[in-house]
Amino acid sequence: MAEKIVIDVQHVCKTYFMEGGTSQSVLKDINFQIKSGEFVAIMGPSGSGKSTLMNILGCLDKPTSGKYILEGYDIASKDDKELAVIRGKTIGFVFQNFNLMMKRTIADNVSLPLIYQKVGETERYNRAVEMLKKVNLIGYQDRPPSQISGGMQQRVAIARALINNPAIIFADEPTGNLDSKTSDEIMELFTFLNKQGITIVLVTHEDDVADYATRMIKISDGHKVYDGLRKEYSKEKEIKC
Amino acid sequence: MLTAIIKEAWISIASYKLRTFLTMLGIMIGVAAVVMMVSAGQAVQNRITDTFASMGSNLILIGPAELVTGGVRGGRGLPSVTVADVAALKTLKDVETTSYLMNAAVQAVYGSRNYGVSVKGTNPDYLAVNNWEIEDGIMFTEKDVRAAKPYAVIGQTVVDELFGLQNPIGKTIRLKGKPFKVIGTLREKGDGLMGDDQDNIILMPSTTVRQRIAGSPRPQYTGIAFVKATSEDKMELVAKRVEYMLRTRHRLKDGVKNDFTVRLMTEMVEKVRSVGFVLSALLAAIASISLIVGSIGIMNMMLVSVTERTREIGTRKALGAPNSWIMMQFLAESVLISFIGSFVGMVFGIAFSQLGGHLFGYEVPISIWSVIVSVTVAVVVGIVSGLMPALKAMRLNPIDALRYQ
Repeated sequence: MAEKIVIDVQHVCKTYFMEGGTSQSVLKDINFQIKSGEFVAIMGPSGSGKSTLMNILGCLDKPTSGKYILEGYDIASKDDKELAVIRGKTIGFVFQNFNLMMKRTIADNVSLPLIYQKVGETERYNRAVEMLKKVNLIGYQDRPPSQISGGMQQRVAIARALINNPAIIFADEPTGNLDSKTSDEIMELFTFLNKQGITIVLVTHEDDVADYATRMIKISDGHKVYDGLRKEYSKEKEIKC
Repeated sequence: MLTAIIKEAWISIASYKLRTFLTMLGIMIGVAAVVMMVSAGQAVQNRITDTFASMGSNLILIGPAELVTGGVRGGRGLPSVTVADVAALKTLKDVETTSYLMNAAVQAVYGSRNYGVSVKGTNPDYLAVNNWEIEDGIMFTEKDVRAAKPYAVIGQTVVDELFGLQNPIGKTIRLKGKPFKVIGTLREKGDGLMGDDQDNIILMPSTTVRQRIAGSPRPQYTGIAFVKATSEDKMELVAKRVEYMLRTRHRLKDGVKNDFTVRLMTEMVEKVRSVGFVLSALLAAIASISLIVGSIGIMNMMLVSVTERTREIGTRKALGAPNSWIMMQFLAESVLISFIGSFVGMVFGIAFSQLGGHLFGYEVPISIWSVIVSVTVAVVVGIVSGLMPALKAMRLNPIDALRYQ
């Protein structure tokens, strides 16, 4: 697997400033790198800061201090417009509740990111059909998402995340709304995609889901407490680092 | 990019057909109301102008003086212009012809039928001056006027009421117990400006009216006199001459006010036209209230739509949609709704105003202004009512939007 660094997080802190002058520090001096082709699970209990970290990694938010470099872009120095372009070109998102547009066809949903890259209508459709093949949903392109199961809907969302050939896929609790059998199917799909060289970062609090990842980063109280192979993880190895 | 945005906007509004239709309905009604009101105003304005024009735009009207007591206008005074004055005015330079009216309201009787009519004593030139035409028979002549012949030329209402299907020519009718021979009928004119029946009329030689009908203590005076100038540009001059001649004939000393009024038809047309314009503007202003209500409807619907689609907006932003795109999409949605609504409203407005015109016998012009105003209104209303929701959508934080339940 290639060793190119896709994500470089250096001393990232995130503090929320409230009304009345109080502040809350959510992420404290986080450092790590993710290389191309890795499958990383970000774990942590509720309120640990893993979602905030995910938002920063997904370029939806910026760190208060520290540096975040994604594919060579220094994210902290980019404005909203540039961030939108970076998100569109280098990131694929998979959400817990799929976030599909129910009144549109599956093909429309899958090809949505391409609109913002000014790709023509026919090409968008063809590429959507191609992606649907990849997630094993051949023939569903012209139906609305409401006619298919939750697992299939998540696969549509994965196809949407893949359509712009992103450097990395961020999945936020991708199996949170699915039963265990469907969850396994989705995680196997992620594993399959990872084996094809796609970098995957997923946020989860489920151990079963995290088991599909090769590497695990654990956040607790805003600190990184574990960063290593998933199979080598044990509670005892957690340290504030 | 614009095509893609419009297409996205179209798909979005088409997804909520009923809601979109109801929102459009507000704009449709608003624009249709404006178009109809503007058309109605214009039709009335044209009708008034045409009516005046048909009487001859180079007409000068001479009536009784206005009564002014202590600076307060108190209506019209007694008639002061005599038939002899009118005959004398005809000798003035640049005067084509003169005419006058003596009005009387009497009961006309034929056989067992009777009907209240308006009798107008005049001279034969009245037809030309007032744009009347003879339907059947003939008009009385100057000779008949001089001889005070008991001749009557009757309007269509009088024909219908007294004669029904019989031919009235040559028949004798009775007014105030005196016999008059019907020598002609007038072509139908329809309702007048104030909705009065113009065809309920009997024209007679003025002398006949004076001698046989008018119970007025001042039978030699005309109600209103008409002087037709040879051309429109001579009117001011002719009006001056008329005033001078009448003052001389009435022996009015310097400093004494005129005991008559001289008005130019062109001035009246201009006045009426400006009143008509104000009327049109007022009607359009009233109708535009419904347009404002319609645009509030769009804004409301778009605000609901932004709230409802918060998560969609978050997703679009996460997937790379720039803020400007999000704003443009929502703006395009409101402009599309407004545009389609306006277009349909304009079509209905034109159709209804034509239908209304047809029913009421008015010729309603299809004004290019209706189209221009509708399109402008559509775009302006769309942008104005869509701007706030679009900005709201644009400013949504993608993280909050994605979390929205």
